[in-house]
Amino acid sequence: MEKKFFDKFDITLFIAVIGLIVIGIFAIYSATQSSANNADFYLKQMTFAIAGLVMVIVVSYLPPRYISSLSYYAYGVSIVLLILVLLFGRTINGNKCWFYIAGFGIQPSEFAKVATVMAVSNFFYKGDEENPKIKPMQIMIATLMVAVPAVLIKLEHDTGTTLVMLSFLIPMFFFAGVSPFLLVAIITPIIAAILAFINIYYFYSFLALLLIALFYFKRHYIITGGVMVMNVLAGYSVKFMYSKLQPYQQNRIMAVFDPTSDPLGSGYNVIQSKVAIGSGGLFGKGFLQGSQTQLRFIPEQWTDFIYCMIGEEFGLIGAGVVILLFAIIIFRLLNNAYLSRNRYLMLACVGFASLFFFHMFINVGMTIGITPVIGIPLPLVSNGVSSLLSFLLMVGIGMNTYRHKDIFLS
Amino acid sequence: MKREVKIYVSLGIVVLSVLALISRLVQLQVVQQQEFGKESDKNSIKKIIETPARGLIIDRNGSIIVDNRPSYTLTITPFQFDKNLIDEVANLANLDPEDIRDDLSNAKGTNRFNPIKVKRDIDFKTISYIEENRDRLRGVSYQVESMRFYPNKFRASHILGYNAEVSEKSLLESTENYYRQGDLVGTIGLEKYYEKYLRGEKGSRLISVDVNGREVGPYNDGKNDVKPTNGADLYTSIDANLQEYAEKLMGGRRGAVIAIDPRTGEVLCLVSKPDYDLNAFVGTPDAKEINRLFNHPDKPLFNRATQTKYPPGSTWKMMMALAGMASGKITPTTTISCPGSLTYGNRTFEDHGAYGSITAVRALEVSSNVFFYKMGLMLGIKDYHDYSAMLGFGSRTGIDLPNETKGLLPSQEYFDKVYGVNKWSQGLMVSLGIGQGELGVSPVQMVAYTAAICMDGLYIQPHIVRKVYNSSTGQEYPLEVKKTQIEWSQKYFDAVKKGMYLVVNGTGTAKNIKNSDYILAGKTGTAQNPNGNNHSWFVGYAPYGDPKIAVCVLGENAGWGNQFAAPIAAAIMVRFLSGNSVDVFNENAKVEVHD
Repeated sequence: MEKKFFDKFDITLFIAVIGLIVIGIFAIYSATQSSANNADFYLKQMTFAIAGLVMVIVVSYLPPRYISSLSYYAYGVSIVLLILVLLFGRTINGNKCWFYIAGFGIQPSEFAKVATVMAVSNFFYKGDEENPKIKPMQIMIATLMVAVPAVLIKLEHDTGTTLVMLSFLIPMFFFAGVSPFLLVAIITPIIAAILAFINIYYFYSFLALLLIALFYFKRHYIITGGVMVMNVLAGYSVKFMYSKLQPYQQNRIMAVFDPTSDPLGSGYNVIQSKVAIGSGGLFGKGFLQGSQTQLRFIPEQWTDFIYCMIGEEFGLIGAGVVILLFAIIIFRLLNNAYLSRNRYLMLACVGFASLFFFHMFINVGMTIGITPVIGIPLPLVSNGVSSLLSFLLMVGIGMNTYRHKDIFLS
Repeated sequence: MKREVKIYVSLGIVVLSVLALISRLVQLQVVQQQEFGKESDKNSIKKIIETPARGLIIDRNGSIIVDNRPSYTLTITPFQFDKNLIDEVANLANLDPEDIRDDLSNAKGTNRFNPIKVKRDIDFKTISYIEENRDRLRGVSYQVESMRFYPNKFRASHILGYNAEVSEKSLLESTENYYRQGDLVGTIGLEKYYEKYLRGEKGSRLISVDVNGREVGPYNDGKNDVKPTNGADLYTSIDANLQEYAEKLMGGRRGAVIAIDPRTGEVLCLVSKPDYDLNAFVGTPDAKEINRLFNHPDKPLFNRATQTKYPPGSTWKMMMALAGMASGKITPTTTISCPGSLTYGNRTFEDHGAYGSITAVRALEVSSNVFFYKMGLMLGIKDYHDYSAMLGFGSRTGIDLPNETKGLLPSQEYFDKVYGVNKWSQGLMVSLGIGQGELGVSPVQMVAYTAAICMDGLYIQPHIVRKVYNSSTGQEYPLEVKKTQIEWSQKYFDAVKKGMYLVVNGTGTAKNIKNSDYILAGKTGTAQNPNGNNHSWFVGYAPYGDPKIAVCVLGENAGWGNQFAAPIAAAIMVRFLSGNSVDVFNENAKVEVHD
């Protein structure tokens, strides 16, 4: 009986999720403790976490067919909400992405992430064959499905979430069966662009490596040449595109390479958060004892910069545990994708794993100064109802995948 | 490709990334721990926003009419503040504890790290109390801020306007990210219209703070500080002496005065009465006094010079004479029979007297009604609308004050909308011909029109500010003044000007204001008011041959135009032309003729 229950219930994933939420609530409590209304922060997070975990259980029991048939509706609703928020939403910190309903701020863009992954999974689900033939047209349509919400979110000036929307497309293509060569053709120009921005010699070395790699694919020389040309163009156009960015975005990117260049603006956050985390040491300064985060002026330390709090008060041990818990969640989602005989759920799990990964990597990366300062939350940990519930919805579908791993959808 | 392979590739990427993050953490928290630990003890940074001083406002002779003085503002940083201290702070600053609670709960997100301004203009005793109790009153502080100061013998409330704390609504809607809770923003008058120039650019200071939250000095020797840039100054065309004089003449009455230089469109004085004391809005305003101003039945905050729309009465007759000639309905020598009344349909419209067959010049002099009843009928609604629109009626003059009215200039479409197509008669044109009925003009429209007449058709946008110049950066901001030359025959303007000359210097309705030193010209008007006593109008300019000032006076419920408005207008013109030395105002001058 016992064994049979855990055969269907992904206990590892569930515990890792609870672990992160608990750490998050402690961190939110600490980050806001000297605030006049700190109960508003951690109690609200706690209440919605409990409600969200109940939702996880409920979702994990739903018939997969039911979930997949809801995909397009969820997608449609979230597009409508994104348009409505653009027309009627409230502007906070320059991002117009909030609805206020009965005192709660709701961000449709958070839910749009889940809905878009579901819709793309449903689009690629054509029977349960592992590597079906993918037509270029399908790739275009899937890209468009992601581009529509991404553009709407960009119009709300929420650049962070826009980048997130683009993060899961390549992994989902990969698992849907798009040919590796095509993926190389899509990804390498992006890498080339980033490297060209950092250092022109990295860019040249990368081109050399790429040439060798392309040789092994043994494609027609015109196609191989085309991919090379695209990489070269991407590298050279990056400086041009950089000049087109808004000044605050340029500053944010520059501040990653040299935080001291702008200690007043974007660099300020990076300097402060590095000092906070660095001073935490191996064991941290102790709960509620972080002098940087308690007294000082790290902005958004209960939302986007909450990792500072953990790094300073719980040290390398706490900060490392958080990363490991994320690794466990991502591993479990990939594991469930691997086990699933249902290609819809398999693709959804891959999309969700990508979302968890991208959020965690960028968010943690920015607080320790290795990625740009992009305003996205740390999943399950940052204070914020919309983000918490949408990530728990992903967990619910991930658990559902584990429960129904032996069942074909068709 | 097999699914296993895909999974291994993905896991590989995840493992590598996690290793990268962990090794960076080890670098920061183990290898560099000592360094960051020290940094953390001595060198955490607090950012203080410095508000620049607002630009000054200066009159045409270089005297400052809106100045700044330093003052201290009490601030609370919500994140550090202990709520139990609310009562103590409220008591200290003489505030309602509820107001402080509201301020605190309005500060959301990162605003909670920034000091919010709870009370302006606190005294030195309060400051010393804060200093003495610094350790206990965590989060309570003060900062120097510049406060408006009016060194004038006049009010000019409707020109200058005031600043008020930025509203929560506009903070939420603003995308420009300039204002913070508690900041002052120009809310009315020039302060609002030129807000972007006046406010300047904020600066910031970085301060190192020790583990106990004490400020230990500037961060990085202040090398990263940004000095605030003071706002640009407004150089206005207002004549402070004339403004003071005009306000005195209007006294406790209700109405408006606006005088401009017809050659440039520059406003010399602008009065709207009742007015209010701008000092009521300086510092932390007294809510009772503000409520009283907002709810007063006489509406002291309302700018009667730019926002009222009343029928112009007989001051409209120049418009009709010009429209009649320009449209070819009459010439300057055409005579029209004015027998003392006009019957249209079954209604009889009265005049002050029977004048026989007269020209437009004579009709203006004696302010004949019948002449202009007929003019209205001859023009018809289309010409009536189109020619009046050319002299600025029915649209904003573009004066540099907020909320100017367009007035009301009726058209075919307007009457069709109000009464229904074919449901109104030409009879409406009779009253409209003498500036009564559904016609609304503002004093600023009337003065611009008068100026255009005396300048032979050169219509210039009235404006108060001549120059916007930032003395700290040396930058001057260009301003644009719209000028339009109306191409009508010089003969038409000459005829109308002659009529206005005779109104004062002939046998006309304003001969009571005839002046021996300066030749004044003008026109009286009395707007019928169904709700009370008539409104008194006068428009005029001087000197007749070489105009240097055009003026419009409106007296609400003040009776005949020559009783109230004309003497004030005359006194203002003479005062200005005499270099602010002569006072010819005589309130009790006898009035013999009605218009």
